[in-house]
Amino acid sequence: MFLTLAAPALSALALIAFGTLAGIPAVRKLIAVYEAKHELRQGSTGWLRSIGGWSIIAFWLMTTWFVATIIGDWGATGDLEGAINRSWLRLRVLLEIAMAIMDSD
Amino acid sequence: MAAPVLQSELQCARCAGQCLYDPATQALACSSCGNVTRLETPDDAQAAQEFLYDPLAPVPEAEVAFETLVHRCETCGGTVTFVAQSLSTLCPYCDGPVVIDTRDNGYEPMALIPFRVPERDAQARAQDWVKNRIAAPGDLAGIVSKARVAGLYVPFWTFDSTEVIQYWASYKVRRNKRTYTRNTSGHLSMHFDDMLIPASHHVTPLIRDGILHDFYPERLRPYRAGYVAGFAAEQHHQTIAQGLDIKGNEKALLIRNRIKRHINKRGVHNIRYQTDTSGIHYRRILLPVWILHYSHGGKARKVVVCGIQGRAYGERPFSSWKLAGYAAALTSIAVGLGLAWGAAGLL
Repeated sequence: MFLTLAAPALSALALIAFGTLAGIPAVRKLIAVYEAKHELRQGSTGWLRSIGGWSIIAFWLMTTWFVATIIGDWGATGDLEGAINRSWLRLRVLLEIAMAIMDSD
Repeated sequence: MAAPVLQSELQCARCAGQCLYDPATQALACSSCGNVTRLETPDDAQAAQEFLYDPLAPVPEAEVAFETLVHRCETCGGTVTFVAQSLSTLCPYCDGPVVIDTRDNGYEPMALIPFRVPERDAQARAQDWVKNRIAAPGDLAGIVSKARVAGLYVPFWTFDSTEVIQYWASYKVRRNKRTYTRNTSGHLSMHFDDMLIPASHHVTPLIRDGILHDFYPERLRPYRAGYVAGFAAEQHHQTIAQGLDIKGNEKALLIRNRIKRHINKRGVHNIRYQTDTSGIHYRRILLPVWILHYSHGGKARKVVVCGIQGRAYGERPFSSWKLAGYAAALTSIAVGLGLAWGAAGLL
């Protein structure tokens, strides 16, 4: 049981490490958007430029969440190939959401 | 039109001492005896007057030579003048060393809004702004507490115009799990009223949008040496055509955003438009700002405080470790939710 869970646990840790590294620009953008919403004049050019590109935050969180769902499924079932196969539908839904986010960014 | 600098205006009527403009009382205050001289005149309301821009005018606007002490910065190229006395030998824009010149060619400002926020309030607001930054380096507050603000009148334009816009664009339609692109066109009109455009490259549009949320033309006063006494002022060096060019860049973004909202569909892209601009009115004005300089990680930065309303905005550094900490926390939440979702066998 311990050995079965070791690989998914290590993968989850690696995902946290990689997600953290990839998330630094996204967090910076999140702070810029927060500051723009609270400090810049709404609807001004500076506000529009600062808000623009916020979808990077959503993509980062969605990608991290998606990979984690596969690892969670793998940890619960012990079947990595099956977990990947079961994730396709989830991926399609996520891509739909990503497209909607990209359109509104 | 700009009045010449009359030294007598800056001399105290009671003791002949040097007068400086005091934002707290919004009047000239004698630095020797404290006597206060009001600067209001019956003509003050005329300062809000706008001027019609005629692109076909046969004679371009004439430059004037300001016979005054000009401080030219050797670092950023900024040129500022001091009325009454030079308060600093450093550039108010970048804190760099300046050289003194006696001539400066430019265009006369039509009006200005005098300082209303005193130095001590500006200092506090600039420091508060820096201290309230999320993910700022730990040593930043200490560095900023040693920095001082400098008062400066910055050249700005106000532009009015009416735009009749014809546009063409594409948008996306989702039908039966497929995405289609549709073309659309239309027209709309926009009116820009008192659009503030910095006439100095030292104040970026982003800083303008951070410190100037509202503009009240009734606060404009005719340009008088008394309002500038004790502060630095950068003169207008841009022609109206140059100002309109900068306005054009700003306007383009606002027009595109308005077109998107006008179409009101998903995935609007490939926007093209033609605009017929009419009724261009302008003012050359000076607006008061306080600038606080600080240096972090070998990089010079500034925080600007509006001298009218006291709003602060500026440049800031980030702490890489704090950014990584926030990223790690958010990643852990996303991973935790994902693991639980996957383990539960949901969708």
